[in-house]
Amino acid sequence: MTMAIKYFTRYRHIAPLAVLRIAFGAVLFISTIRFIARGWVHDFYIVPRFHFPFYGFSWVQPMGSTGMYTLYLVMALAALFICLGLFYRIAAPLFFLCFAYAELLDKTYYLNHYYFVTICSFLLILVPAHRYCSLDSLRKPSLKVTQVPAWTILLFKYQLCIVYICAGLSKLTQDWLFNAMPLKIWLPAKASVPLIGPLLRYEWTAYFFSWAGALFDLSIVFLLLGRPTRRIGYVLVIVFHLLTAVLFQIGMFPWLMMSATIIFFSEDFHTGLIRKTRTLLSRKGAFPEPSTKPLQKLGPQPSPKQAPTQMPDPHPSSKSGSVPTSEPPLYFQTRNPKILFPLLGLYFLLQLVLPFRYLLYPGNLLWTEEGYRFSWRVMLMEKGGATFFYVKDPATGKKFEVNNSAYLTPYQERMMETQPDMMLQYAHILKRQYQQQGIASPEVTVQSFVTLNGNGSRLYIDSTVNLAEEQESWFGHKKWILSFTNNPLR
Amino acid sequence: MAATGGILCSAIVLFSCSKSGSSPNPGGGTGTDPDATLVNLGANIIIPSYQSLATSTVALDAAVTGFYASPAAGTLATAQAAFKSAYKAWEACSGFEFGPAADASLTTHFTNSFPTDTVTIKNNIGGASYAIDGLGNFAAQGFPALDWLLFGNGNDATLVRFTTDSHAAGAKAYLTALSASLKTKVATVNTAWSATGGNYLAKFEKASGVDAGSSLSLLLNAYVLDFDVNLQNYKIGIPIGLYGPSVLPKAPAKVEGYFSALSVQLLVAQVQSIQNIYLGGSGSGIDDKIVASKVLYNGGSLNDAIKNQIGVVLTKMQALPDPLSTGIQNNATTITDAYTEIRKLTVLLKVDMPSALGIKISFQDDDGD
Repeated sequence: MTMAIKYFTRYRHIAPLAVLRIAFGAVLFISTIRFIARGWVHDFYIVPRFHFPFYGFSWVQPMGSTGMYTLYLVMALAALFICLGLFYRIAAPLFFLCFAYAELLDKTYYLNHYYFVTICSFLLILVPAHRYCSLDSLRKPSLKVTQVPAWTILLFKYQLCIVYICAGLSKLTQDWLFNAMPLKIWLPAKASVPLIGPLLRYEWTAYFFSWAGALFDLSIVFLLLGRPTRRIGYVLVIVFHLLTAVLFQIGMFPWLMMSATIIFFSEDFHTGLIRKTRTLLSRKGAFPEPSTKPLQKLGPQPSPKQAPTQMPDPHPSSKSGSVPTSEPPLYFQTRNPKILFPLLGLYFLLQLVLPFRYLLYPGNLLWTEEGYRFSWRVMLMEKGGATFFYVKDPATGKKFEVNNSAYLTPYQERMMETQPDMMLQYAHILKRQYQQQGIASPEVTVQSFVTLNGNGSRLYIDSTVNLAEEQESWFGHKKWILSFTNNPLR
Repeated sequence: MAATGGILCSAIVLFSCSKSGSSPNPGGGTGTDPDATLVNLGANIIIPSYQSLATSTVALDAAVTGFYASPAAGTLATAQAAFKSAYKAWEACSGFEFGPAADASLTTHFTNSFPTDTVTIKNNIGGASYAIDGLGNFAAQGFPALDWLLFGNGNDATLVRFTTDSHAAGAKAYLTALSASLKTKVATVNTAWSATGGNYLAKFEKASGVDAGSSLSLLLNAYVLDFDVNLQNYKIGIPIGLYGPSVLPKAPAKVEGYFSALSVQLLVAQVQSIQNIYLGGSGSGIDDKIVASKVLYNGGSLNDAIKNQIGVVLTKMQALPDPLSTGIQNNATTITDAYTEIRKLTVLLKVDMPSALGIKISFQDDDGD
C-alpha cells in the first residue's frame, strides 16, 4: 500500500501537465467558439420545445436565449483562461460546470467526445496544471512549482488508456471484424475524398480499416507508454485521427485526442518543448522570458510546498537532465491524500465498470443500446429508424398518429428514432401534451422500425405496449424492446 | 508532421500497388470521375422535370390571361385543362426542394398547401392588400388556390365569380397574379438549374459524398420528405383521419386537388416520379447505389425490395376510387390498403435506403462520433 502511495506521490516535472493544459485548453476554446459560430447554441438549446434530460437529471433545465449564450461565452472564456493558465482555480471548475450543465440538458447531443471533455475537464480541476508556464505563475510567482506528484500526470494517462482500450474491445465483434460493418457502408460513400478516395470503393479497404482501427485502439496506449515506441505511437495517433477527421463528420474529436495524448511524452520532451517555444517567443519579443529572480528570492524561503514531508524521488533531475538548470526544484504537495486517493480509486473503478455494464442486459447491445453510452463505443453502427407514434383516447376509442416534427427538432427526432430511452421520454412528453388538451389518460404506442448495420429494417418496439404507463429506472431493463435476432422482418 | 506525411504517402503507395485484386463498387463517384447517379439525375430527371413544369406554367399563365380577357365557358375550360397538366407536372418536381427551389420558395409550403385558405383568398379578392407570394399568404397561393378559383362550386358559379360578381375584377386580378407568380418562380428555378443559366447542375454534380450539403444528402432528404410527409401524411393520412395533431374525424375535403377532383391522378404522378428518381429513368439512379451497397433485406436484395414496393404502391394508387374524396366518404377499403403499403415503402425509403448509403435523414448540421 505504501509502495503504491509512493509510486503515485513520487515527484515528476510539471512540464507535461502544463503542456497538456495549454494544448487541451486551446482545443476546448476553439471547440466552444466553433459551437457558437455554427449556431448550435440556438439550434440545440433555444429552438427545441422539449428536451431529453438524462435519467435523474430532469431538474436540469435550459435557460433562455440570453442565458444559454452567456453560458457558452463564459465557457469559451474559461477554456481560454485554462489554456493561458490565468485564474485557473476558478476557470477550470467553471468550464467543467458549464460544460457538464449543457451536456446534462439533452441526451440528443451526447457524443463520446463530449463525455471525454466533461471528465477531462473534471480531472483538470484536481491538478495544479497552472503552476508552471502560465499567467498565474507570472501574476503570482509564489504559485510556481516545477515538481508535481506523479498522480497528477498519471490520471490523464490512465483515463486515456481506458478510452482507447475500451474503444478497441468494443470493436471485437462479428460485425466489425468479419463483415467490415459499418465501414463497408461508410467508406465507399467517401470515395470523393482526394488522394485516398479511389481506394475507399474497394471492399477490402473496409476490412483493412476495420482491423487496423481495432488494432490501433487496442495497442496505441502501450506504444505511447513505452519509451522506444512513443514517437512512432504518436505519429500513428496523428495519422489515425487525421484520417477519421477526413473520412467522418466527427468535429473536434480528432483534435481533442491528439492534444490529450501529448501527456504520454516524457518530461524531457515537454521541458524541451517549453524551452524551445520560450526561446522562439523571446527572440521575437512577443513574450518576456519569465524572470527567474523572484523564484531565486523565493528559493530559500520556507514554504510548505518546498518542504515535502514525502521525500521526493531522488533521481528526478538526474533522469531529466534537460530541466532548466536555472530553476530550482519547487514542490507541489498532495493535499489530503487520505481522502483524494480513495476517491480517485473509486472514480477509476467506476470508469472500468461502466463500459461493461452492458453484460448485465439481455440482447444485442447495439440493438437495445442498454449500457451503450459512457462506454467509449465509437463509430460502431449505422443505425436508422422511423417511428410512428399513436395516441389513443381510451374514453372515445379514437386513435391517431402524431406529427413528431410538431414537438421535436429534426435532430431530436432522428436520435429518438433509434434509442428506446428517448422514445420513452417522448411518449411521456406526448402524454403530458395530450392531457393538457383534455385526454385524461392518453395511451401512447409506437410503431418503430429500425435497421442496424444494413440488416434490414424490422420492428423495434412492442407496438402494443402503452409507453405512457412505462417508467424509466436506474439501469433497469426495458422489456418492450423487441429482440434483434428472434424478430421476424415484418 | 513530415513523418506523418511520409507514413501517409507510403500507406497510399502500398494501397495502390495491391489494388489489382477486387473490382471497385460502381456508382461511388470519385474526386475526378463525377458521380454517375448525380450526373444522370441532374441532367436527365431534374432539369427535364423543371423544363416541363416551366412549359406548362407558361401555358397555364397564357390560358389564365385568355380567361381574364374574356371570361367564358370556352376560355375557362382551356384554363382548367392547362391547370391540370401544370399541377401534374408539379408532382415530378416536389421531390427537389433544395438549392434553387428552396431559394425561390418553389416549395410545397408555398406552392401546394392544401386545403387552401379560402377565407384569405376571399378577403384578398374583396380588396384586402396582399403580397401574392408573401409569407403570410402561403396557404392562399399556388396550385390549391388556383384549384379552388377555377373549379370551386362548379363551372357556373366560377363564371359568375369572374363576371357578374361585385368582386369579379378582384378575382380576375388574383387569378392572374397566382398564375404569373407560379410562372415566374418556376422560370427562376429552371434557369438556376440550367447549364446556360445559374448552372446549379454543375454544383450538384460536383458535391459528392454523403455529408451535410452533399447533393445526395440534400436530394434524398427532400425525396424522403416528399414521400413521407407530403404523400403519406398530408395527401392520405389526414384526409382519412389517421394522422393529425389531435383527434380528428376523416376529412375528405382535405385531399390534394379536391375541387378539380384530380387527387388520384396527382398521387399516381407523384409515385411515378418517386419511381423515376429511384431508377434514374434509363440511366444511373439511386438503385445503382443501393445495388453497389450489396445490402440485403429479408433474404433478398434491398434494391429488389424497394423496387417491388414502389411497384405495389403505384398499383394501389392506380386502383384508388376516383375522386378520392368520395372514396373516403364511402370508407373504401382500397384506400386503407393503399395506406398500409405506403407505410411499408416509407420505412424502406426512410430507414433502409439512407442507411445502406450512409446518409442521415432529418438532417441537421452536427458532429458525430
